[in-house]
Amino acid sequence: MAYWRQPLDRDRVRVPQGIVHIIEDRCKGCGFCVEFCPQHVLAMSRRTNAKGYHPPEIVDGAHCVNCGLCTLLCPDFAIYVTDGGARIPDRIEPIRRDEGKR
Amino acid sequence: MPEEEMHRSERLKHLGYEPPDESDWVTGLHPMDELLRGERLPHIWCQGCGLGTALTTFIGALQWLEKNRGWDLDKVAVVSGIGCTGRIAGYVRLDSFHTTHGRAIPFATGLKLANPELKVVVLSGDGDIAGIGGNHFIHAARRNLEITVVCVNNFNYGMTGGQVGPTTPHEARAVTTQYGNFEYPFNLPYLAAASGASFVARWTVLHARQLEWTLREALTHPGFSFVEVIAPCSTAYARWNPEGRGLDPEGLGRRGLEVMKHYQRVGRTMHGTHPKDAEIRVNEKGEIVEIIEGKFLDDPKPDLKAAIDRQAALAEKWWLAEKKALDSRPRFPKRTDRVPRTEVQLGGFGGQGIISAGRIIGQAAAIYDGLEACFTQSYGPEARGGAAGAQVVISSDPIHHPHLIQPTSMIIMSKEAYSKYVPTLAPGGTLLIDSGLVKLREDHRQDIVTYGLPATQIAEELGNNRAANTVLLGFWTAMVGVVRREAMRQSVTDSVPPKTLDLNLKAFDIGYEEGLRQRAGGHPLVGEG
Repeated sequence: MAYWRQPLDRDRVRVPQGIVHIIEDRCKGCGFCVEFCPQHVLAMSRRTNAKGYHPPEIVDGAHCVNCGLCTLLCPDFAIYVTDGGARIPDRIEPIRRDEGKR
Repeated sequence: MPEEEMHRSERLKHLGYEPPDESDWVTGLHPMDELLRGERLPHIWCQGCGLGTALTTFIGALQWLEKNRGWDLDKVAVVSGIGCTGRIAGYVRLDSFHTTHGRAIPFATGLKLANPELKVVVLSGDGDIAGIGGNHFIHAARRNLEITVVCVNNFNYGMTGGQVGPTTPHEARAVTTQYGNFEYPFNLPYLAAASGASFVARWTVLHARQLEWTLREALTHPGFSFVEVIAPCSTAYARWNPEGRGLDPEGLGRRGLEVMKHYQRVGRTMHGTHPKDAEIRVNEKGEIVEIIEGKFLDDPKPDLKAAIDRQAALAEKWWLAEKKALDSRPRFPKRTDRVPRTEVQLGGFGGQGIISAGRIIGQAAAIYDGLEACFTQSYGPEARGGAAGAQVVISSDPIHHPHLIQPTSMIIMSKEAYSKYVPTLAPGGTLLIDSGLVKLREDHRQDIVTYGLPATQIAEELGNNRAANTVLLGFWTAMVGVVRREAMRQSVTDSVPPKTLDLNLKAFDIGYEEGLRQRAGGHPLVGEG
C-alpha cells in the first residue's frame, strides 16, 4: 500500500465515527449486518444469545463511519449506530473486500 | 409542557401508558423502538426474512419525515391485510388496522375519504395486494386516491407454507409447483402504472437506503403511490429455488442471507425505466437473473379528493341556480280540506310519458297542494316501447305504505296495461282510457266507471303526440278532483320542456274541459256516472 496516493486535502477530511451497539438478545443471526457492512466492522461471533443464535460482534469498531446501513438492514432491531464525532484519518486507505471477514 | 407539544413517546408516558409485560423484549434500547409495540415483539418473522428490513426502512422514512418535514405521526395510519406482511400493522406503534385478507386497500380508501388529513399507508404482501385484493388495488390506482401502497413481494404465500402465488416467477418452484411454475406472474409496477398510479417504484430490501429514500418520496407524493419491495422468503421460497442455495460458509442454513447476496448480484438500478420493461427476469430453471429496480414513474396528477372537490363545487353552483329557479315558483294558498288516501295507477308503454305523468301528479300534490305524495314506477327492460307503469299515492296524512293497495283511479294508455291493471281497480273506481288506443274488452268490468278520450289524437292535432299524457292529466284532474287544477298546471309547467310549454298547457286545458263536460253530462263509456 505504499504507493496509494493521498488526497491533497487530507488534513481537512473528516471521517465520521460511529459507535456500533448490538442488542444481542434480539438477534436472530441472519448475518445481514456482517455481510453488507461496507467497512467490515462486524463478524459473526462464536457465542450464542438467549435464543441460541450467534449474534454479530465488533471486530474493527474504529472503522465504523456511522453510515447506518446495519440499522436499516437488521430485521430484528438488534443493531444500531450512534454518532461518535469525527476523526482526521492518519492516512486514507482503500478497503479490501475480503478484509474483516472471518 | 402542554400535552399537544410533547413528543409522542413522552405523551404516552405522560398518559400513564405502560405496555403489557408479555414478552422478554426490553423496549427503548433501539432508536426505532419508539415506533414499535414492544409488547408484541420479537416479531414472528424467520431468520433472514426481508420483512423486518422492509419495516425498518418504513420506520426510518417516517422518523426522517417527522424530524425534517415536521410530520405528526399521529396522523399516519397503517393498514395491512393478511399474511406475514400483514403483521406489520400489529408491530408499529401508530394508528393501525389489521384487516381481512385482500381488503386492506378498501379499508384504507374508507379511512382516507372519511378523514382526508390522515396519511394512509397500506403495507401488505403480494398475495394480499396482487392476489385476492388485486381488484381493489387496480381500482385504487385508477382513482388516484392519495394513499401509499407498499407491497412486500416475496414471490409466494409464505405464511401458509410457500404455495405458488400471483407473483411467483415463471418456472420458479414453490411447494405446490415442484416442477416449475407454469403460470406467468404479474409485473406489479407495470400493473400499477397501467392502472393509473402516479408514483411507481421497486427496490429489493438489500437496497435499504434507496428504499428508505423512495418511501419518503412515496409518502409525500400527492396521489396514489406504489412501492414494490422485493424481500427474501428465507424459509419457504428460498428452500425450493436456486437463489437460496449459495455457499454458506458456516453451514448455518442462512438462506435469507444467500438470497440477499443473490439480489446484490442481479439487482440493476435503472430509474425512469418504462414499467413494461421493469422486469424480473428468470432463466429456464426459474432462477432470478435480473431485477430491474428504481423509481419508474413520478408523474403527479390531480388525486381523487381534488376531483371530488371540483365536482362538488360544480354541483353546488348548479344547485344554487336550480334553487333560485325553485324559489321563484309561485305559491298557492294552503289547502284546508282533508284528502283521504287516494291511489292512482297509470299504465301504458314506454315513451308515452307515463312515468312523467305520475311524477307530475305527485309533484302537484306534494309541492303545490301541500299534501303527502308517494310515487313509484315500474317498467320493463326496454327504454321505449316496453310496458311502463307509475303508481301515485296521495293523502293528507303521512303515507306509511308506498305501494298501491287498491287503486281508486286509473289512467290507461295501452292494451297491455289495460289487461294488466284494470282487474286491480277498486269497485266503483274511475278508469280513464285513451279511447284511440285502448279498445274495451267484451267482458269489461261493469262495477267501475269508465271514461274515454282520444288523447293521442287530440295531441296530434295540437301538433305533438307526446302531449297525450298531458291531455289525460287534465282529464284526470277534472274527473277525480283530488289535486287542484292550478297545482297541476304549475306542475306541468315545471316538468315539460320550455319549448312545448304552450302546447302542453293547451293540451291540459282541453283535457280538463273535456273532463268537466263528460262528468257533468254523465256519459261514461261503461258503468254508472
